[in-house]
Amino acid sequence: MDVNEQVVSGEQMLKEQSSKPIKIKLLTKSTIAIRITLLALAFLTVYAFFSFDYKEIDFGEAMLATFANIKAMFFEAHFNHFTFTHALYQVLITLGLAFLTTIFGAVIAVFLGLLAAENLTSKRVSAGIKGIVAFIRAVPTVLWVLIFAVAAGLGSVAAVIGMTFHSVSYLVKAYSESFEELDNGVIEALQSSGASFWQIIFQAVIPSSLTYMISWTFLRFEINFAVAVAMGAAAGAGGIGFDMFMASNFYLDIREIGTITYFILAIAILLEVFATKFKKKLRVNG
Amino acid sequence: MTLLEVNHVSKQFGNETKALSDVNFSVSEGEFVSIIGPSGAGKSTLLRCINRMIDASNGEIIFDNMNVMNLKKKELKMVRTKIGMIFQHYNLVNRLSVIENTLHGNLGKKSTIAGALGLYSQEEKEQAVKILSTLGLDEHIYKRADQLSGGQKQRVGIARALIQNPRMMLCDEPIASLDPNSAKVIMDHLRNISTTMGITVLVNLHQVDVALKYSDRVIGINHGQVVFNGTPKDITKDDIQRIYGSEAEDLIFDIGGIHAS
Repeated sequence: MDVNEQVVSGEQMLKEQSSKPIKIKLLTKSTIAIRITLLALAFLTVYAFFSFDYKEIDFGEAMLATFANIKAMFFEAHFNHFTFTHALYQVLITLGLAFLTTIFGAVIAVFLGLLAAENLTSKRVSAGIKGIVAFIRAVPTVLWVLIFAVAAGLGSVAAVIGMTFHSVSYLVKAYSESFEELDNGVIEALQSSGASFWQIIFQAVIPSSLTYMISWTFLRFEINFAVAVAMGAAAGAGGIGFDMFMASNFYLDIREIGTITYFILAIAILLEVFATKFKKKLRVNG
Repeated sequence: MTLLEVNHVSKQFGNETKALSDVNFSVSEGEFVSIIGPSGAGKSTLLRCINRMIDASNGEIIFDNMNVMNLKKKELKMVRTKIGMIFQHYNLVNRLSVIENTLHGNLGKKSTIAGALGLYSQEEKEQAVKILSTLGLDEHIYKRADQLSGGQKQRVGIARALIQNPRMMLCDEPIASLDPNSAKVIMDHLRNISTTMGITVLVNLHQVDVALKYSDRVIGINHGQVVFNGTPKDITKDDIQRIYGSEAEDLIFDIGGIHAS
């Protein structure tokens, strides 16, 4: 890059100051490229809306109908095919599915993460595991569940295996990166006093990265809860997702979907509040 | 009695960079030896070759009548438990308490499982508390390591090395990141360890005046070679010049002043 040509000496800048405002950012190739890309994307977005094939749908009418649906969904929510306790029980099943797959995933990921951390094993092992894990992560969780459904049949077993699979790959990346944050000097210090590999892992590596590990695991738990809802609908894994599927595709009861959405929302908010409080506490004590 | 003997040791990184070439010296039991030299002279490499954190390319290193270079994994661990090491950046586990960090020095002697789970005997804990209080840290036993000042952290580093009951301590720039007061406290402790406990101390130092003041013997290294080996009294301006190269004239201390004190 020809940055040098554009760099002006401080003195020159001050001389010209009266006439020109001082720039903070230099116009380099990368900033120009970013600006052109953003402009192109903005143009495409606007153009797309004008070039849609709307057929005989009137845009305004469609919007109004959608709002009416949303109003029915959220302001006229009711129970029809199930009761409050049933819904609560089903939400707990979904939570259980998320919890189980997160725990399975976390335990497996700790060991794979140790092997995938470059400072703890060799570069080759680390690159191998990270490569495989990146491939697993690239395929969506739903797809993995459907792949395992071939062997296990649609249902909770396929959902648990598939979700665990994806959780492992996600957490291995997160864990191994937090292990790699550890100062090599600490490992060296314990090695020099004759400590063994597993002693160093449990006495230095894991205590140092525990807070990161916990917050990553919590994030995965939240993701798994959302996925577990989807799995109830897509893979028949049970829980509130299945009720949602029945309400929308079988009973066509839009008001009941509203109720279910409220349940899911409440749990999601509860999880978020709990996670934030927990992390705050960890930061103080841990 | 000779505790450590370094014979014809050299170390090559890659094909060209020679960190150490034909280093020879020996250290007696209980001696306080400083290694001085410019940055990149090979001081840290030399120290790490002794406990095989780095494998030397050639030569032999004899510690307590054993050739460290030929040891197998298990024997090497045994030798390492007898050699304490402290570092410029302390290298403590920041999230653990002072006493946990101190007890880490015992890991090498424990079974893998007991060590990994952090199960220490009452005896070990008592010893840790005793060492910490001699180092003036009795008020900070349960503090987390990252809440301490630099000087306190280095004292925890010393405690971690001392609990090993070492024959020798290797100190890699122990005071390079400390202010003068903390540095003095640390050097006094190291000197004390050598004098009262009879532990051999080998220190890498940047500060020539400190090296001359505290050591029984000074080893000067430049370009991976020993260029001076003698008592602080014997060191001359020429020697300093040979250790630090041509800029020695500008060094910011007065060699005469140290000899006088």
